[in-house]
Amino acid sequence: MSAVQHQALVLGAISLVAFVFFTYFALSSRRTRFGVFAACNLLFVAMVFGAVATFDLSGERTEIVVAIMTELPIVLIVAWVCLALAGGLPYLSGTLPVEPAVRRARLRTLLRSAPFVLLFFLGVASVIGFVFPSPAIRVYAPAPIEFFVMKGLIMVPEGLYSGLAALVFVMAGRSSGLKRRLYFKNLAFSLGMAFIALIAIESTIFAGVRVWVADQNRLAILKMLNTCETCLAISCIIVFALGLSLRYTPAVAGPLLQRLQTGWLHAQEQFESLEWQAVNAGAAQRLRDASDTVAMACRLRDVSESDMEKALATIRLVAVMKDPSSETQHITLEAARKLYELQEEILGDDVLASKISWAAGLRSRAREPQTVKSAPLHDALRAALDLIDDHGSDVPVESRPLWYWIAAVSAADAKIIDPPVHASVHPDEYDGYRAAVDAYYAARTSIQTSEDDD
Amino acid sequence: MKADATKRSFVTALQGEIGTFWHHFRVAISTRSQPNGSRPLLTAADFQEELAILGLSRRRFVPKDYADALGDYLGISINIHVIPDDWYPELSRRLAISGRLGELRYSEQLTLAAIFVPGSLPPLVSTLTILHELGHLAAGDVLIVPSEEVDGSHGLYAEGATFMTSPVRKGKKLARGSPFAEEALREREANMRASYALFAGCLGSDSPYADAMFSVL
Repeated sequence: MSAVQHQALVLGAISLVAFVFFTYFALSSRRTRFGVFAACNLLFVAMVFGAVATFDLSGERTEIVVAIMTELPIVLIVAWVCLALAGGLPYLSGTLPVEPAVRRARLRTLLRSAPFVLLFFLGVASVIGFVFPSPAIRVYAPAPIEFFVMKGLIMVPEGLYSGLAALVFVMAGRSSGLKRRLYFKNLAFSLGMAFIALIAIESTIFAGVRVWVADQNRLAILKMLNTCETCLAISCIIVFALGLSLRYTPAVAGPLLQRLQTGWLHAQEQFESLEWQAVNAGAAQRLRDASDTVAMACRLRDVSESDMEKALATIRLVAVMKDPSSETQHITLEAARKLYELQEEILGDDVLASKISWAAGLRSRAREPQTVKSAPLHDALRAALDLIDDHGSDVPVESRPLWYWIAAVSAADAKIIDPPVHASVHPDEYDGYRAAVDAYYAARTSIQTSEDDD
Repeated sequence: MKADATKRSFVTALQGEIGTFWHHFRVAISTRSQPNGSRPLLTAADFQEELAILGLSRRRFVPKDYADALGDYLGISINIHVIPDDWYPELSRRLAISGRLGELRYSEQLTLAAIFVPGSLPPLVSTLTILHELGHLAAGDVLIVPSEEVDGSHGLYAEGATFMTSPVRKGKKLARGSPFAEEALREREANMRASYALFAGCLGSDSPYADAMFSVL
């Protein structure tokens, strides 16, 4: 076995161990496309060194091929990282660029240029290597200046882009309010890229030593540099594996959010906007009078403002659900039930339910924002469903609030629904119902009296 | 028999992957080569990128903040007018009859945009309507060349489907892609922007899309 084969065997074994470690540590805990790509590159390097160890590939041009093949994976990894940071790999890695790069167009362009620049210089270095062959993989042998030029053409851009990527990861990690786990992830990747940059610098120095340092000192310096490179490479693999294996679970799951954005929000908006259109376009004219009486009845019984809103929303909903006009054809019993179920699903998620809110009144910032729970539509939907079809209700009749009964009496009086007769009991037996009837008719009389006076 | 089935499923999966990749490749090429181009509808991730450009990513915000940031970016003044029904009762009626909820007026010369919404709109609808109109500004729909507008509507569409875009006049827009040629699609995308904005504004740093911008590998 020649010295080159022996050295290739050692490097191949190290690469294989690195591949196994990386696969076991990083990919088993969290598989990302970059992780798989990096593992494939490590395996490729191990195979190249294995081929050199098995078949004696010494020979200057062959050595150039081997040297380029072993540099290629690192170049590809740096290019991938830079592109991922710039958001240039929508179909291979994530779809999003790192936040600091989004706001800096030049930085993003620079990162996007990485694969072109790196592969261009690798190509130029290959041409120089073939035109001026040198002992590229005999690491301790003296080398001509062309070797330094070839190595420099690969290492300088690689070092610059790796350094840039490390800097961008630092910028991302330093963003205020970043979650701890994401901070450590970015820290690990910035260290990993810094190690690659240091390896590039070290390799350039290594090539220079082979060219310019005399025999007696060269071996000692090269051995020291080799040890340094090994340490850097091991550290690089460890921090990348650590960064990739760090699991991060967002507070709100993406699929749930997507479903709410396309399902719940669309349904809720459609309900409220169609209801508003129906009322304002005069499609549900008969509930206008009923609304005034309900508001008055609620005030007579000291019903709170929010409960009065619920009562009003209930009769509006009942009116539009019972109205067969084309404007309100989407507001069906089935759609109402589906929307209510979606609302219940949000309310089941405490984090989400407490966060999703919107301004109650855009002209007044002082008012509390509305949430799914506090918006009148939630309780009004339940009430409207109960009024139209009481069979599926899980709310006991005796526990229904006064505003519900006022809305029920009003809707029946306006002939929007039949008088509330429940499957199991008669509402007259309940104080709430009787109080609502009294309040409603008192309000109606009061309104009629004032109209007659006018 | 079992080995054959495994082999077949692997080949099918491989063919599927190649097909997807080829589709994306063709989309990417066609977007660059066609004068008008085509693109898919906006995703929540794309919208998060827009928020990062405006400096609103990982921040909680209300429509006013979004309007201010968008106005600063576009170099225009955006005013939101919530008109109480007592001031102009006809507005609600006219809008309701026409099936609309708000109105956007844009003047290129005055670098001014104004959004009008009736005060009687339910709060959620009012918020979404304002965000919807702001979405038109962000998409650059106001810069569209009128003669290039195409009628029609897409009720259902496959995920990842692309639609033809329209050329725009010279002017700044937030969206990376050009506006859609079809009005129905522009409306659909404005609705999507409104929905993404509402959730992003509520969730702030808890948005999974905001976190994804710090976990790129």
